[in-house]
Amino acid sequence: MKTLIDLIALFAGVFLAFVVQHALPPMDDLQGARVVLVPLVFCYAAIVLPFPAMLAAAFYTGFFSDLFYLHIVGGAVEIPMGISIIYYVILGCLASRFRSGPETAKMWMFSVLSGAGTCTFLLLQFLMITWHRGGWEWAGAAAWRILAPGLMAALIAPLFHLVVSHIDNLIPDFSRMRRASRR
Amino acid sequence: MNRLNIALVVGLVAVGIYLSTLSSESVGSMKASFMSLLSPFLRTGTAMQQNIGSFGQRLKTLDELDVENTRLKIENRVLRTENSLMRETQAENQRLRLALDFRARSSHKLVAARIISRDSSTWWSTIRINRGFEDGVEADQPVVTDGGLVGKTTTVSKNEAIVVLVTDESCRIGAKIEGTREQGIVTGLRIQENTSEGMLQMNFLSKNAEITSGMDVLTAGVAHGSFPPGILIGKVREFHRRALDGQAFVEPAMDLSIIEDVFVLVGKK
Repeated sequence: MKTLIDLIALFAGVFLAFVVQHALPPMDDLQGARVVLVPLVFCYAAIVLPFPAMLAAAFYTGFFSDLFYLHIVGGAVEIPMGISIIYYVILGCLASRFRSGPETAKMWMFSVLSGAGTCTFLLLQFLMITWHRGGWEWAGAAAWRILAPGLMAALIAPLFHLVVSHIDNLIPDFSRMRRASRR
Repeated sequence: MNRLNIALVVGLVAVGIYLSTLSSESVGSMKASFMSLLSPFLRTGTAMQQNIGSFGQRLKTLDELDVENTRLKIENRVLRTENSLMRETQAENQRLRLALDFRARSSHKLVAARIISRDSSTWWSTIRINRGFEDGVEADQPVVTDGGLVGKTTTVSKNEAIVVLVTDESCRIGAKIEGTREQGIVTGLRIQENTSEGMLQMNFLSKNAEITSGMDVLTAGVAHGSFPPGILIGKVREFHRRALDGQAFVEPAMDLSIIEDVFVLVGKK
């Protein structure tokens, strides 16, 4: 029951993250870098949820990401559908390894994974575009647009963890209560 | 990791690979449905952002509004007069064309649209407009303003369309430089250093072309292309001679980060 509530909360959280990051304008002082929140929300779910539920979350987040970032010009798709699903499955498998650790370690790993996961996602997009359009182009602005959202995600993550884990503790865990009453 | 988990991971990866093989038409229609679903939420988010951003600007005094209203009324009268004169000229032009047995020049029907949100991705320059296939908008139709070319439509849903801007590298336009016989391909830069301004590049120009900064760059209107001829794209800023060809850097005709209303050329009248 608790897992189901967590999963539904994640679905709503990812949806909200898309809406919020869509509304936030790019930061001109950081070379047009944008706030990317979805990998952060997913990493939290991957650390908290059991493995099969994490995979459901990876599918949902990846599918939404693919549709959200789908860019079709002249009948050509720049980043094929399904790439984000595979990416979030890999990220989720990594994150779920820290599920059983102590709470403080979990928070720091969540922070590191959110930052690294955001940067890797943006780098993956850049590499896919480069592969599709051909020719290698690089500029300082590209590095900023990859690293700055990751850094922001890593900085937001501890606060996000504190707030969401506090809310999570308020939700009753019926399975735990049932086990306790049986004892 | 137990066997069931491994099987689930393999299954999901297989689904991902299957989705990557779908045709652009299939994923395009999925994206259009997704846009319709997400649209009310995205519009609310963007409206909130705009309201917060323009809170100070909207606090105008009654005197300021009165002055603005008077100015707009005068402008409206001038435009009405110009419009009626142009209608007469158009009618005269039509008569003369008929007299000379000229083939009628194609003129396009315009659909006015409002920008509902700007690009939300790091690597693409796009906008969303509040017109979709219900209004006659289709994919690959040019989007313009009175200042020049804005871009072209890509994914079109029922009441919305995504427009890829001229500053995006994936928007390729056959173009010519006014006053010369030079033609080339205009595209945006992959990494725009200045996101608000944007810069374009025009490739495949002749190495020996006499191109100077300030020259107008117009759409060439090549056969089977999306863009009709003669729409202003921008002005040449620099011209470089390379080993085999010439390359011009073009400044867009208008600041694409501040436009609010556009027109979609939806076909011939």
